[in-house]
Amino acid sequence: MGARRGPALDVALVVVLLLVHFTFHRFFVRWPVTPNLLVGGLLLAALRLTAGQAALLGFVLGVFEAAMGLEGMGTISLVLTVVGYLAARSRDLLFADARYFTPIYLFAGTWLAELGLLVAMPGGPGLLAGLVLAPISAAGTALVCGAVDFVVASARRF
Amino acid sequence: MRHINVGRPENQRRDHVIVAVLLIISWALASLDPSQTLGLTRVLRASVLAPFLAADAVYEERAGLARRADQLNSERDYLYRELQGAADLERENRDLRALMGVPDRQSGLFIIAELVPGRPAVGDSHSFLLRASSLSSLEAPAGVSVPAGLVGVLRSTGGRTGLGDFWTHPDFRVSVRSTIGNATGIVKAAEEEEGTVLMLVEGVPYEARIPPGTILETAGLGGVFPPGIRVGRVLAEADSRSGWSHSYLVEPAVRPGAIRAATVWSRPAAIPSEPDLPASGQTSEAQRQAEDPGDGR
Repeated sequence: MGARRGPALDVALVVVLLLVHFTFHRFFVRWPVTPNLLVGGLLLAALRLTAGQAALLGFVLGVFEAAMGLEGMGTISLVLTVVGYLAARSRDLLFADARYFTPIYLFAGTWLAELGLLVAMPGGPGLLAGLVLAPISAAGTALVCGAVDFVVASARRF
Repeated sequence: MRHINVGRPENQRRDHVIVAVLLIISWALASLDPSQTLGLTRVLRASVLAPFLAADAVYEERAGLARRADQLNSERDYLYRELQGAADLERENRDLRALMGVPDRQSGLFIIAELVPGRPAVGDSHSFLLRASSLSSLEAPAGVSVPAGLVGVLRSTGGRTGLGDFWTHPDFRVSVRSTIGNATGIVKAAEEEEGTVLMLVEGVPYEARIPPGTILETAGLGGVFPPGIRVGRVLAEADSRSGWSHSYLVEPAVRPGAIRAATVWSRPAAIPSEPDLPASGQTSEAQRQAEDPGDGR
């Protein structure tokens, strides 16, 4: 986290995560527990955006996600707007330069987003399933997105 | 990731305004009917999301080619058998109507359309898109079915695209009758404790009993669904209101998950004046309202 990277590399990292999410959308929604690259990308983007920009990105991604899934346009955009805003705000409250900040931040953010979607979207697997499945999904997101972020940061140093 | 400083008060005020506006827009979108957001969905799917959907379609086409070939073969055989029986029935029906002096039956048209199921981020899909060149002339709501049975209802159309709900949607209702003609009722989705979705037929008159295994089909009331579309098979009695009505659990004829093509019923210009009443004549006003096109269902 200590490395200073150019914005282009950060943008590329987020764009790749979002492209992978939308390209393999059918697989990510088919299985109950998968890394949520949409939320992961949003959370990583929120690290270098203002709260308003992060909320706007969350809103747009929510609309895209709903258009892909054909359901919950307002609900998903609402949840991701809130998550984007809170993510951008929370990094100032937490120790953002701590070594383990990014994985913990990704885990907590994804869990929050998935819980929000489970509560807000009708017909989901239920809150109890959300309390079991969502943390696993959040851990997967933290692992994948954290690893990608670490690799990009390492590559930047060299 | 590199972090930026957002601590300045003017930035925070601006952010709060942006977030408030976005939340209001989201809230407005959430309160809209899905058919009202169809335009935005269609624009996004035809522009920004088009490459992803195209890649998805290529994958699905290749992955499901062999399966589709088998399915089409079995559907063709099934339709051939049905056609053989239907030709005789049609002739008998025509002869009987001629004898009774009843005008020809107007059954409407069935439009074949490509069905694209939704893939929501949470839970199972209850909605689908339909694509067909002749959808623009169709009046929604309209019943959607496959040869095996009922799939759902088309809620709205715009151009060559339509948005509909599977029968698993919580708002879905259809009036049914038993094929042996002894009972009628209203079918809706019912989720079991194990998470599987079955159907529940409610409002069955108390004096009418439906034995397990009985086939239910659409009653054709209200002009949304044609009569005679297979809905499901009765499993067991679910509830009984003493002196009033029964409800039964129904195994659906069609599980919507794997369907990629369906037919939409285009009702005839003038619904036949003779009502398609069930044989028992036990039709209530509530059943008519359940399929009333006026409420968008």
